[in-house]
Amino acid sequence: MEVLERLFNAALIVAMLRTTAPILLVALGGSFTTKAGIFNIGLEGQMLLGAFFAVIGTIVSGSPWIGVLCGVAAALVLAYIFALLVVTFRANEVVVGLALNILASGMTISLMKAIFGTRGSIFGHGLVGLPIIRLPFAKDLGWFGQIISGYTPLVYVAFLAVPVLIVFYKHSRLGLYIRVVGEKPEAAEALGISISRIRYTASLICGVLAGLAGAHLSLGYTTMFTENMSSGRGFMAVAILIFSNGDPLKLLAGCLLFGFSDALSLRMQTTLGVSSYIILAVPYLVALAALFALSYRSRPRLIQETLATMGRALSVKPNGASGS
Amino acid sequence: MSDRVAGLMGQLIAVAIALAIGAVIILAVNESPLRVLVTLIDGAFGNPERIAGTLLQMTPILICGIAACISLRGGLFNIGIEGQLFVGGFAATWVGFSFALPPLVHVLFGLAFAALAGMLWIAVPAFFRARFNTNEVVSTILANYVAILLTSYLTINVFKRPGGQPDTPAILESAYLPQIFSFSRLNWGLFIGIALAIGAYLFFTRTARGYAVTEMGANPKFAEYGGIDIKRQTFVLLLVSGAVGGVAGGIESLGVHHRFMEGFAPGFGFDGVIAALLANGNPIGTIVTALFFGALRNGSLLLEVDTTASREIITVIQALIILAVSAQILVRRRASDSTAGERRWKF
Repeated sequence: MEVLERLFNAALIVAMLRTTAPILLVALGGSFTTKAGIFNIGLEGQMLLGAFFAVIGTIVSGSPWIGVLCGVAAALVLAYIFALLVVTFRANEVVVGLALNILASGMTISLMKAIFGTRGSIFGHGLVGLPIIRLPFAKDLGWFGQIISGYTPLVYVAFLAVPVLIVFYKHSRLGLYIRVVGEKPEAAEALGISISRIRYTASLICGVLAGLAGAHLSLGYTTMFTENMSSGRGFMAVAILIFSNGDPLKLLAGCLLFGFSDALSLRMQTTLGVSSYIILAVPYLVALAALFALSYRSRPRLIQETLATMGRALSVKPNGASGS
Repeated sequence: MSDRVAGLMGQLIAVAIALAIGAVIILAVNESPLRVLVTLIDGAFGNPERIAGTLLQMTPILICGIAACISLRGGLFNIGIEGQLFVGGFAATWVGFSFALPPLVHVLFGLAFAALAGMLWIAVPAFFRARFNTNEVVSTILANYVAILLTSYLTINVFKRPGGQPDTPAILESAYLPQIFSFSRLNWGLFIGIALAIGAYLFFTRTARGYAVTEMGANPKFAEYGGIDIKRQTFVLLLVSGAVGGVAGGIESLGVHHRFMEGFAPGFGFDGVIAALLANGNPIGTIVTALFFGALRNGSLLLEVDTTASREIITVIQALIILAVSAQILVRRRASDSTAGERRWKF
């Protein structure tokens, strides 16, 4: 019993929300490409490049906010190359995504050595992280206040983005267009929607969020950059995207599951003394288990949703369909 | 035939463009591209030891490349070769130090175990891909991380001698793959790799089963109407691909390291996938691309000693090559065939 009490408490929820945030940000980015019908395996690389340039930007400018902008800009460049090759050149999305991941990994290590003369990780050099936000009213809320206050800003961005995206997909024109393009490209074409324009837009928004995820990793979650520090979070996000079909709410549930397993296993390491190798493998195993357990159900759901979208798409006036 | 020549030309032009962009990046990190190129060539082919070193690096890339070719031909992406290599390497090492067997039998037994381990490692993703169409790209990538952590766990927490180096006990000499030259760790694994490449090529071009696989890669629906059991074939194909990936690891441990340690063979699996993609899924072409990547890798060792550039610059160049090759298909598709886009493995 005592062990259980030490394992489960408010601090565990705090740890869970902390570990959830980076993967949630990148998964929300991926939801745009997933909804637009692009299989984006390049999330990992965008996140990694974002993390690296966030650190560089912060060191050069002294401000972590400028750093975040740099990280986002770098991820956007990668997202643009992805869109260019996949949408315009119709290259295979798996091949391009993997190549961009390898590019990001090799490039960050090469640049790290060129700029700092070291391998491994960057810290110090005047690197400052994002400030911690303490909500003023949190003190009066007891344990709940403890849970919702005291995170770096991008954690709040991640969780607040979930309801925003739900509304976006349900009620905005662009959101609907993205879904139509992904689920029924023929219908989109018939309505006069430019498929490539929507897919570019989705890829670039994805790049912004993946860049934020990376910046959060190097300036919020930790205050350093380490070789390949995204450590598969981008791939886990893709696994979540597959079984959540890119729906923000299911995606949140999936990401919380990861955050929970991650936080719990880290804690088990300290309380039960399980080997760190096994602990580190837990998130990947959870991702695999969830992917296998839920994948066989995704197909019929997709068809139902396509029918629903079709109905709505046809009720949209075709003459207003050109803008995005 | 002219189509094939055009394809090869396109591939070469893409490589040239990628190298040009790579040169710009090298300039950006304050190093002379020419010096990097000369150092790379010198490091890869400068003397017999270095040539042997290049072939040594080429061997695992080639075998991983064959594993990738096998899945790509069927329109499947086994990106988990890195993981299969790790479990295969560990399994072969375990056989190597746990049993005392006659020389040749010991090697064969070790490689068989490596193949079995690789096969087991892909079995679950393969089953779900075949049965429920679960995306194999993600599942095999995630399995890589688990494989690397699991083998590290077994090495450090189970088999490490107390106070010793962070590796397993050495394998017995009866399990050594014979070396070709006295001055290099280059071993018979290279011949096994080339034999596998030729075998895979003959399988895909000369047998009905190989044709059925290519058919499935080109157009799964059509293949199914043609009476091919797609689910079964997908499962078996991924198992074979995983087995070859495991053998790559077995050869690394029995031929090169003679033990298993952390960071056993970093990145050979991914290099193999890239080599296979660059060769368009052709096993014979993979021999050439694997040699190219082996030379890059071996040359990069000298690069790191002689210049300020890091050896990861070659992974940047590899990635650029793949990007350039994947983009040039548009030009080729416009010029000639319309079916190229249908094949998943022809980017």
